[in-house]
Amino acid sequence: MQENISEKRLGGCALGGTLAVTAFIRDGITVIHAPQGCAHQMFSGFHAMMADAGLSRIPKVIVSNIQNREAIFGGEEALAEALDRAEEDSPALISVVTSCVPETIGDDTEGVCAAHPASERIVYIPASGFLGGSSQAGENTALIRLAALAEPKEPIPRTAALIGEKNLESEVEENYAEVCRLLNRLGIKVILRFCRNIEAAEIVRLGEAAFFIIRDERVEEAGITIANRFGRPYVSAFPSGLSGSISFLQEAGKACGIPEEEIAEAVFAEEEYQREQLAPFAELAGTSVALGFEPFAGCHAVAREAMERIGISESADGMPVKLPFYLPVGAAGVLKMLYLWRREKRR
Amino acid sequence: MRQIALYGKGGIGKSTTSANLSAAFSEKNLSVMQIGCDPKHDSTRMLMHGRWIPTVLEQMYEKKDIKEEDIIFEGFGGVRCVEAGGPEPGIGCAGRGIIATFQLLEKMQALFGDVVVYDVLGDVVCGGFALPMRDGYAEEVYLVTSGELMSLYAANNISKAVARLGGRSTAKCKLGGVICNAKNMDNEYELVKEFAERIGSKLICYIPRSKSVQAAEVNRMTVLEHDPASEQADVYRSCADAILANDDFRIPTPLSLEELEDLARKYL
Repeated sequence: MQENISEKRLGGCALGGTLAVTAFIRDGITVIHAPQGCAHQMFSGFHAMMADAGLSRIPKVIVSNIQNREAIFGGEEALAEALDRAEEDSPALISVVTSCVPETIGDDTEGVCAAHPASERIVYIPASGFLGGSSQAGENTALIRLAALAEPKEPIPRTAALIGEKNLESEVEENYAEVCRLLNRLGIKVILRFCRNIEAAEIVRLGEAAFFIIRDERVEEAGITIANRFGRPYVSAFPSGLSGSISFLQEAGKACGIPEEEIAEAVFAEEEYQREQLAPFAELAGTSVALGFEPFAGCHAVAREAMERIGISESADGMPVKLPFYLPVGAAGVLKMLYLWRREKRR
Repeated sequence: MRQIALYGKGGIGKSTTSANLSAAFSEKNLSVMQIGCDPKHDSTRMLMHGRWIPTVLEQMYEKKDIKEEDIIFEGFGGVRCVEAGGPEPGIGCAGRGIIATFQLLEKMQALFGDVVVYDVLGDVVCGGFALPMRDGYAEEVYLVTSGELMSLYAANNISKAVARLGGRSTAKCKLGGVICNAKNMDNEYELVKEFAERIGSKLICYIPRSKSVQAAEVNRMTVLEHDPASEQADVYRSCADAILANDDFRIPTPLSLEELEDLARKYL
C-alpha cells in the first residue's frame, strides 16, 4: 500500500529547508558556506519552487565557494571573504548557512562569524548539509537560530506570531488569510509571520506575541522551542478543514486567555459561516466520489467530513476527485477543494 | 618498481629510517623517490641537508600551474624528494591533502623509479592517510615500532588497516614485515620479533639505538652520508637488502588489546 507523503522523507540535505526560511527575510542576505556546486544545485531547485509558487523575487544568496584548497587548508578564509562581500550590500541581517563540507573538515564557522566586523548582524545557522539531516531539520534549525535575535517582552494581549509557514507552497497567502479570518473572530491580530517576507528588525516582535501558532508538525521542534523560550502558549497547527477550524478557534482563544463566552460566540459565528459557504455546493449531494491516493495524512478525513456535511458518498467506482496536496487549511481550503469537485461534475 | 610504505607511531623514527633506507637504496644505483606523507613535512629533510623543501600542498595553494621542479627535489644520492605537506594544525583536512597530492603526482606521471618510499603519518587516522596503501600505490607496508607498548599498539592498529584494505579483491597492498627501531629496552628484540610473528608477519630488521643517528641529524644528514663507515650505516644497508630480498607479503592478523598487553607483560 502506498504511504502518505511524509515531509521527513523529503529530506536528504538540510540546506534547502534552511534557505526556505532565511530567503524570506527581505532585507537579509544568506551566505552559504559550501562548494559552489552544492549552492547551485540547491538554489536552482529552490528558485524553481519559488517560481512555481508565484514568487518572482530572487533572494540574495552568496556562496563561499569551498574548493579543493579550502577542503585541505580549511574554508574559514573563504567564509570571511564571503561575509565581506555580503557586507558590501549593507544587509540588515546575514544568515550564514553551512553545508556538510565545512562541518566535516571542522571549520570554526561560528568563530569566523563572531570575529567579523558585522558580527552583530550575523546569525550562524549550522544546517550542516546532509549531516544536518533533512530539509525539515534545516528549517527547524534556521527558525530556532533566528529566534535568538528576539528577547522576551511584555506580551501584547490578543496577538499571535506564526511560526514556520510553508513559504514554497502556492496557497501560502490564502492560508494566511484564512488563519487571519478565524483569528479576527476572536479579535486576535497576527503581529509577525516568522519568517515570511519580513524584515530582520521585525524578528524582535516574537517576544511581544501573546501566543504562537505553529504551521504544522513539520516545524513543531522550532515552534515548541521558541514557545518554551518565551514562556508562551502555542497552537500546534494551522486549522485543517471544517471541524479543525472550530477547534482552532477554541485553542487559539484559550491560548490567548479569551473568555469562554467570547470563544463560544466566535465558534457559533464560524459554524454559521460554514453552513452558508457549503450551501452553494448542494448540487454535489448524492454524488459518489473516489478519493484515491492521500497525499498527506489527514486529507481523507478532512474531505470525508465535508462529504458528510453535503451528502456526498464514497465508492471506488465513483467520480475520481483530486485532493489538495497539503492538508486544506480552514474552511477556505475545503471550499477550494469542493469548487474543483463541482467543476469536475459539471464537465 | 618497488613501492614501500613505512607506517608507525608518531616520533618512532619513521622519517629517519625512511631517509636512511632511501640513501641505502641509492647506493645500489637504484632510482629512488621518497614521499613524505605528513603535514609536518620533515621526512626528506636529512636527504636535503636540512632544507625544508616546498610542499606539494603549499604549491597547490599558491600556484595554479605546478611543474615537477616545483615539488620534486633531488637530495643525497639522487633521491627524488617530495613532501605532501598539509594544513596548519587544527584546521582543514590533512587526509584530503594526501589524496590531492597523489592525484597531482599521478597526473604529472611523477611516480617512477626503482623504489618509491612512502613515509606516512603516525597513524592511519582517516581514509586519506590510508591512500598510500590503496589504488595501486604502496604494495608493501612496513611497520616501524619499538618495544614500547604504545608503539606496538600503534603498529597493531595500522595492521588492522592493512588487513582491511589488503583483504579487498582489488588490493595490491600487503604487510612486508616489522622494522624494530629500538629504544634499547630489555628483551626488545624478542618482544618485537614475537609481535611480528603473532600478527602473521616477521621482523625484517632490528635497528639498534645509536648515537651516530643523532650525530648525523644534527649535521643535517643521513647516517649513510655523515658516517658511511659506521656500524649503524651497515644496519641500514642490511635493512635495505632485507627489504629488497623480501618477497613474503601477507595479510596481517592484528592482536586484541588484551593479547597485546599480555605480550608486553611477558617481556617485562
